[in-house]
Amino acid sequence: MELFLNILGAIATVILAFIVGMSYGGIVRKITARVQNRKGPPWYQNFIDAYKLYSKTTAIHHGWMHRMGPAFLMVSSVVTLMFVPVLNNGGWFENMNFQGDLIFLLYIMVFGSLGMALGAGQTGNPNSAIGVTRGLSQMVGFEIPWVMALVAMMIQYKTTSITGFIEVQQESGTWLMFSSPFAFIAAVLAMLGMFRYSPFDIVGAPSELASGPVSENGGKYLFTMMSSGSIFTFAKLTLYVDLFMGGANNLLVLLIKTFALYMVPVLYGLVSPRYRTEQAVRYFWGWPLFFGLLAIIYAVIF
Amino acid sequence: MNTIILIFIIFLAGAILTFLASNIKGLLKEVLFLASVIVPVVMFFTGVKAGDSFNFHLAGFAFQWEITPLGYLFALIVTGLGVMAAIYAVSAMQKTKNLGLFYFNFILSIMSMLGILFSRDLVSFFIFWEIMTWSSYLMVVYQGKDVQKVGIKYFIFSAIGAYAMLMAIVMVYSLTGSMMIDKMIQSYAGFAFNMQIIIPILFLIGFGVKSAMMPLHVWAPGAYSHSPMAFTSLFSGALSKMGIYGMVIVMAGMIAYFPEGHWFRIVIAWLGGITAVGGTLWAIAQDDAKKLLAYSSVAQLGYIIVGVGIGTPLAMLAALFMAVMHALFKGTLFMAVGAIEKQTGTSNFTEVTGLIRKMPLTFLASLMGIIALAGIPPLGGFVGKWMLYESLIGSDHYLLVIVIFFSSTAAFLYCYKFLFGFFLGQEEKEWEHVKEAPVLMVIPMIILAGGTFLLGTFPGLVIKPISAGLEQLGYAATQGKYWEMSMLFNEWGDQVVLEPILYAIIAVFAFFLVFLLIKNHKNTRYVSTKDISTSGEVPKEHENLTFIQNFFQPFLRAVEPLMKRQIDFYYNGFGKGIEALFDFTRRIYTGNGQTYALYAIIFVVIFLLLKTTLFGI
Repeated sequence: MELFLNILGAIATVILAFIVGMSYGGIVRKITARVQNRKGPPWYQNFIDAYKLYSKTTAIHHGWMHRMGPAFLMVSSVVTLMFVPVLNNGGWFENMNFQGDLIFLLYIMVFGSLGMALGAGQTGNPNSAIGVTRGLSQMVGFEIPWVMALVAMMIQYKTTSITGFIEVQQESGTWLMFSSPFAFIAAVLAMLGMFRYSPFDIVGAPSELASGPVSENGGKYLFTMMSSGSIFTFAKLTLYVDLFMGGANNLLVLLIKTFALYMVPVLYGLVSPRYRTEQAVRYFWGWPLFFGLLAIIYAVIF
Repeated sequence: MNTIILIFIIFLAGAILTFLASNIKGLLKEVLFLASVIVPVVMFFTGVKAGDSFNFHLAGFAFQWEITPLGYLFALIVTGLGVMAAIYAVSAMQKTKNLGLFYFNFILSIMSMLGILFSRDLVSFFIFWEIMTWSSYLMVVYQGKDVQKVGIKYFIFSAIGAYAMLMAIVMVYSLTGSMMIDKMIQSYAGFAFNMQIIIPILFLIGFGVKSAMMPLHVWAPGAYSHSPMAFTSLFSGALSKMGIYGMVIVMAGMIAYFPEGHWFRIVIAWLGGITAVGGTLWAIAQDDAKKLLAYSSVAQLGYIIVGVGIGTPLAMLAALFMAVMHALFKGTLFMAVGAIEKQTGTSNFTEVTGLIRKMPLTFLASLMGIIALAGIPPLGGFVGKWMLYESLIGSDHYLLVIVIFFSSTAAFLYCYKFLFGFFLGQEEKEWEHVKEAPVLMVIPMIILAGGTFLLGTFPGLVIKPISAGLEQLGYAATQGKYWEMSMLFNEWGDQVVLEPILYAIIAVFAFFLVFLLIKNHKNTRYVSTKDISTSGEVPKEHENLTFIQNFFQPFLRAVEPLMKRQIDFYYNGFGKGIEALFDFTRRIYTGNGQTYALYAIIFVVIFLLLKTTLFGI
């Protein structure tokens, strides 16, 4: 019975993540349009697109690895979501919060990209492979300040579990973005790369790579990738909120906090042109790395 | 008769018999070869247990062979991988010339590795070490390519290592009057301070050469890629671990009383960290799969050295677990490269592409090997990585953990390059005839890859013997504190529970696979890799659009400053300097009697001038 309830909770979490992620995507499209002085699609446009993709039948495939690619991607987003505490008190959304820690999360987060990369590779489309190499290179870039920020916090608070960080914030009453500010800055700068908005949209690179690794996918495959992207966005945002902004006690607070955080890469992207790959990689080894180092020094001293 | 000595006799006799039988037609030599590997291994698993020993006296030295828990752990790697590589070799080496020599060296290197692990005295340790070096040297030059460059390099570095070790052994003997390893460890604390530093350094040079530690690694890429792949899987998987075994004895046995965070430990750990980064970056730049895996081996051993260097219980667990994992996945990957080379005749990414549908089982094995190598859950590589990070964070090595993280993230790049280069990308007419490798080559790969899968969820199976080995070295019991059968803990009690993770991954994966395929499966048709949309243009049959040249060029541009200098540059400079010195020395011999007379006079003058200071006359 308990297992059954857990599975129900997990499904509820996934549905919540799907809805929130999709809506955020739509809102971002709207905001982008307004900034560019267009009218833009309605906020629910992504749901319409998803439904359209879902109802299409698939006619062709490029082999088994190609077919499994989206499933790999989904594994990574859903399993990541399972380990990120959605609400502070757990409740319906407790899932597997206590069974893994941050370092596990860092690794499961790349599981999907690698599986997706393999699927994209089998299509034989050169743009896919170029996109993948760019994505992997960029990942090496932003993981460094991101890990530095996490390591700084781990040594400061002597825990590696996400629930541990939430407890630390509840006990002290301050958010970690104030009590370890440099780690927060490094992590937010790393987040720019993680969300792949401009200037770091080198993987999909519209009008350059013809959407990169997702080209050659349509119908249900594209639907799965799109939903996976939305779920992953929600999971990552929630992770940041848990780590730096004290988590959330109810869904409304969670939405406000995640949305505010989400605007950082989105608004940064709106005013930035795209980097070349080596520029994108090196960007993260400049100021973000500096703040990461500062965070570690800060953590060692205090 | 004692089983231990019997094992060695069978190895030795088997090696010689196989060598003699190599010119006889038929399957006799293969049968003899397999028998002389498998029979002693079976005897090892059934006939001996930790604690068995065998003593004898020869030429005034006491020899003691004993199976210690630590030795047993490494012997598991050697025997397990040895049997798999032997089965693979029979099929892979068919129709090769000089097969007798290959089999002979193969058996001898397995024997010598077991000998190293069983030796409790330094004399037999050194003898077996030399047999191992020689047999692997003959393997490196076996194919006769670039013997001058690669073979000599390996030989010179092995010789440097061996002399350093010999010097250390002689020093230990003169200080303690005994050749026993236990005695050496016990009396180490009583040595003078300079000896306490010099002896471990000399030993570590010897072991560092074998485990390819910076800056002694330069032989490794050439040697690994020039040996037959059937042997390289053993070379990189097991033989390099002998260096790690030695390091564990030195770092955890001898200098165990150096506290954690002692500068000596930190230097070793940082050397390991630099090895990891350098190996990874150079692996990314390679276009040949053998070279790529060779550099990757250097990098992976770097992680292990970091763990051994740090020396906390969790770090030691991580290092030894990674040693086992590395044997499994690198064995798989080298075998896969061997299979591809055998079927296509090349191991270069830029030449062969799109093998996934032709060699699906090799792809599966490689995929699992790569996932384990990259350290992605739920495969076993993750467990080792997790423990290493936690131990580094828990023992205050903040910068080192960043370095290791950088290296292991960058490893994804060459991981993808390996899979993409061989198996994915556009399928070409040229490789249409390629078939899956023979079944005897595929089975060992799949078994080893399956091992990584099993250990990813139940790491306790291997951590248990590791823990026993560490207890022998004086560590406290770690079960329940750092690990359970399928759980891991760090210093602060945070945990990773592996079993539910595996089930969650399988459940989600299966659900979405069914979701994608249901209703769709039968109505879809396969289209070739030429039938793609590239900005609205369909590529023609003869157009090869595979992207593999300069695969990671932007990344390599970004890290260019780190790769400007190779250590080879300095060694070559050193070599040239020495040559110039010798050239100068040669000029002393002018061939003119007058010059020699002058030398004699100068000598006498100097002697007379300095006689009081020199001899006190």
